[in-house]
Amino acid sequence: MKITPIVGLEVHIELKTKTKMFCNCDAEHFHIDPNTHTCPVCLGLPGALPLPNKTACEWCIKLGLALGCSANLISFFERKNYFYPDLAKGYQLTQLEKPFVINGKIIIDGQEIRINRAHMEEDTGKSIHITENGEDLTLIDYNRCGVPLVEIVSEPDITSPEMAKNYLLKIQQIVRYISISDADIEKGSMRCEPTINLKIEDNGQEFYTPLVEVKNVASLTGVQTAIQFEIDRQTKAFAETREVKSKTNKTTRGWDADKNQTFLQREKEGSSDYRYFPEPDIPHMIFTQDEIEAIRKTIPEMPDQKFIRYQKDLGLSEYDANSLTADIDFSKIFEKALGQNPTADFSKFTANLFLGAIKTHLNETQEELNINKINFDYFNNLFNAVSKSEISATVAKQVIVDSYIENKDPVEIAKSKGLIQVSDSREIEKIASEVISQNSKAVEDYKKNPASIGFLIGQLMKASHGSANPSMAKEILEKLLR
Amino acid sequence: MDFSTLSINQLRQGLLDKKFTAVEIVNFFLDKIKRIDPQIKAFITITDEIALNKAKLLDEKISKGELIGKLAGSIMAVKDIFLTKDIETTASSQVLKGYIPKYSSTVYQKLIDQDAIIIGKTNTDPFAFGGSTENSGYFTTKNPWDQTRIPGGSSGGSAAAQTAGLCTFALGTDTGGSIRLPASLCGVSGLKPTYGLNSRYGITAMASSFDCPGVFANSAEDLAILTKITAGRDSHDATSINQTIPDYSKLLENTTISGLKIGLPKEYFTDDIDPEVKNSVLTAAKEFEKRGAKLIEISLPSTNLGIAVYYVLVPSEISANMARYDGIRFGQSDISSPDIISYYMKTRGKFMEAEIKRRIMIGTYALSSGYYDAYYTKAAKVRTLIKKEFTDVLSQVDVILAPVSSTTAWKIGEKANDPLKMYLVDAYTVCINVAGVPSVAIPCGFDSKNLPIGFQLIGNFFEESKILSIAHQFQKITNHHLQKPKL
Repeated sequence: MKITPIVGLEVHIELKTKTKMFCNCDAEHFHIDPNTHTCPVCLGLPGALPLPNKTACEWCIKLGLALGCSANLISFFERKNYFYPDLAKGYQLTQLEKPFVINGKIIIDGQEIRINRAHMEEDTGKSIHITENGEDLTLIDYNRCGVPLVEIVSEPDITSPEMAKNYLLKIQQIVRYISISDADIEKGSMRCEPTINLKIEDNGQEFYTPLVEVKNVASLTGVQTAIQFEIDRQTKAFAETREVKSKTNKTTRGWDADKNQTFLQREKEGSSDYRYFPEPDIPHMIFTQDEIEAIRKTIPEMPDQKFIRYQKDLGLSEYDANSLTADIDFSKIFEKALGQNPTADFSKFTANLFLGAIKTHLNETQEELNINKINFDYFNNLFNAVSKSEISATVAKQVIVDSYIENKDPVEIAKSKGLIQVSDSREIEKIASEVISQNSKAVEDYKKNPASIGFLIGQLMKASHGSANPSMAKEILEKLLR
Repeated sequence: MDFSTLSINQLRQGLLDKKFTAVEIVNFFLDKIKRIDPQIKAFITITDEIALNKAKLLDEKISKGELIGKLAGSIMAVKDIFLTKDIETTASSQVLKGYIPKYSSTVYQKLIDQDAIIIGKTNTDPFAFGGSTENSGYFTTKNPWDQTRIPGGSSGGSAAAQTAGLCTFALGTDTGGSIRLPASLCGVSGLKPTYGLNSRYGITAMASSFDCPGVFANSAEDLAILTKITAGRDSHDATSINQTIPDYSKLLENTTISGLKIGLPKEYFTDDIDPEVKNSVLTAAKEFEKRGAKLIEISLPSTNLGIAVYYVLVPSEISANMARYDGIRFGQSDISSPDIISYYMKTRGKFMEAEIKRRIMIGTYALSSGYYDAYYTKAAKVRTLIKKEFTDVLSQVDVILAPVSSTTAWKIGEKANDPLKMYLVDAYTVCINVAGVPSVAIPCGFDSKNLPIGFQLIGNFFEESKILSIAHQFQKITNHHLQKPKL
């Protein structure tokens, strides 16, 4: 028996536009006094009408283009009808027939995941269930009602919990690269609903288990664990019931993060009917090809392109390129340090400092990298000093962190701390002569065994307070003892 | 002085000339309402205090020599589906009873910005669902010409107030004939503008792609003044048009009747129409012919599909537009319910009038999966066809002239229990809404029972200036519009 998981993901991204999707209310809703960011439109008052937020529409298209989608030049909104107290109008504005962007793809672990669409919609309010004086109450906060959401719908091309996680990380990375959302899963600005079933091959026969949509998954590990839980649960359920997928047996299950299991929420999903129809309050949205191209131009270099460029043009290793492009802000700051047209050596030097000393410092202090404390001149001066052997590689690692903390030139720091390497042969000869005269035993040893020169070099370095160029020290000692 | 017979400009000029004060005008109308409205029942709310306060302020402005608005001295009756800040707005439905809006509809705001004074909110079918005001959750308005008869609807309260002389002008909305039908049955002038000319913001939505706010007045001349004020782009309504609004008043004399090509659609003059109505409308047409216009028989072959298209698309939009009336944020609700679903069902079951429920059910059905293509999609296609027929015909003739209603006002209760019969009263008006073109309804005579008869002039998109000009010239040579019921 062969079991292949079939997973599709619906990802909701909350856009960080200033105002809401269909009104001019402030879109901020996290830790805001309830119902203070509201107006007749988002409260669904009688007579209020929606006005689409142009920036949000453009950002939805931008995201679609970044996901390799093509844009529908004519698109429109639809009403999705259902009753819930936090849905003020009794319908949600969304896109079904003609979303802004369709048919994209992204590559995860070498496999293509097709993207069906990215469409624009509005968020609902929040229901808060409390008990007061022994009475169960539901309070509603409409601050989130009408906040712009983009829904990205994948095809069911994902075949493992690991791949689902990587897909989400990739979406998150792309969204952050184009700066349209924080895509923070914990804060709810990125939400994910996997739909899972299994393809089971048994004795030359193929079976597909009923579709299950999982809701309320609020973390990356949650997504992975929930999918794995469903794979195991469905495998077992199939063994017991042999039930296969039909048009009417899709179910919705909730994710219980405490118990690490899914539980049945709604049965017969196939029978629900949202009675979509075109939103008559908003004319069709029409974009010209030129407008689409103008939006495309606002897309910065994407992580995959950057990854390739870092290897090809900067000569970085695959590992370094990957680490440096993971986060757009980190790579932006890295590029600031590189300046214009960096050489391969300088790039490699800078990359090592970023991924080594600086990253270690950030991990220790739990700080975010601050772009204002990163300066091309600092890195360039340091690189030149190391190239001229004025500063050792070890010292470089140390002073770049000091430079970052103090926002000062690292070479100046090295000088003030007396960490500049002495590469003046006369200066070194002077110290070497003293070392030789004070260590007659070691000199005797060297004459018997030239490999023991290490001790004398050590003494020389000590005498120079670490500032002598070690290879020059060796050469000069050998010359004087010849 | 009988202020109800004065035009908008006469009232304003009278104030400027200090012939009378705004307080006198308001008191005149309030007295008249107090005397007559208990029988007619045009008003749900009378805003006497607000009106008097506004009048005092206006008189102060005049005495100080400050600038006054174009509608200073005009008294306005407002259909109760227009949101009026701080004034109860019920939409003539129990489900919205007690609702005091926090904001005003754009059209109403534009009018009070020009110093129009609101005197009250008028009765309608609930949320404008109906053609007689009999569906109102409060009471039925009587036709001032015969109080055993309906005034037409849904804007029946406004039309009745207009003809009874209880206001200078009145606000209505026309989704399928709701301005023109009551205008015709009450003998007043009413304009249904091009869809999108007047903003829909702040008016309880019936069918969003059909709703057209408009005005009733004593003459086309007043309609022109009002429409110049109400029309234009509203940043709160994405479907409102973005173009320059002509000065309709200045264009009233611009259309020459001589040589004018007037289309008479044969589908509007069949044997289904009451012979007295038909005669009266044709007599009106002949008035134009006498002055050199050419009467041309035209055909709008899809006319008989109008009602079917309308009663698929309109209830579909209604079914969604009514969803917000759930009793949670405004209006009446039944709080005895143990859970949310029964709360919805009880609130909507108890406080929504039967016609609301009927239309929600029709619309919900038409939008349901499996039926959507057969109903909604099909109807949307026929809508495109009907629109094309109008624009095609209007490229051959200058204007279309047609009756508004096949009969004069009918008896209260006559059609109230037969929804289908009631739906058919809009047979001559709905296609104009399906197409979205403008139409002005004006009086053209009386039948043998002394009930008013009206006709409509239909123009191409944004040809309000043309149809108002033709209506004005008709009113210059006739006096049907000056007739008032004896009360």
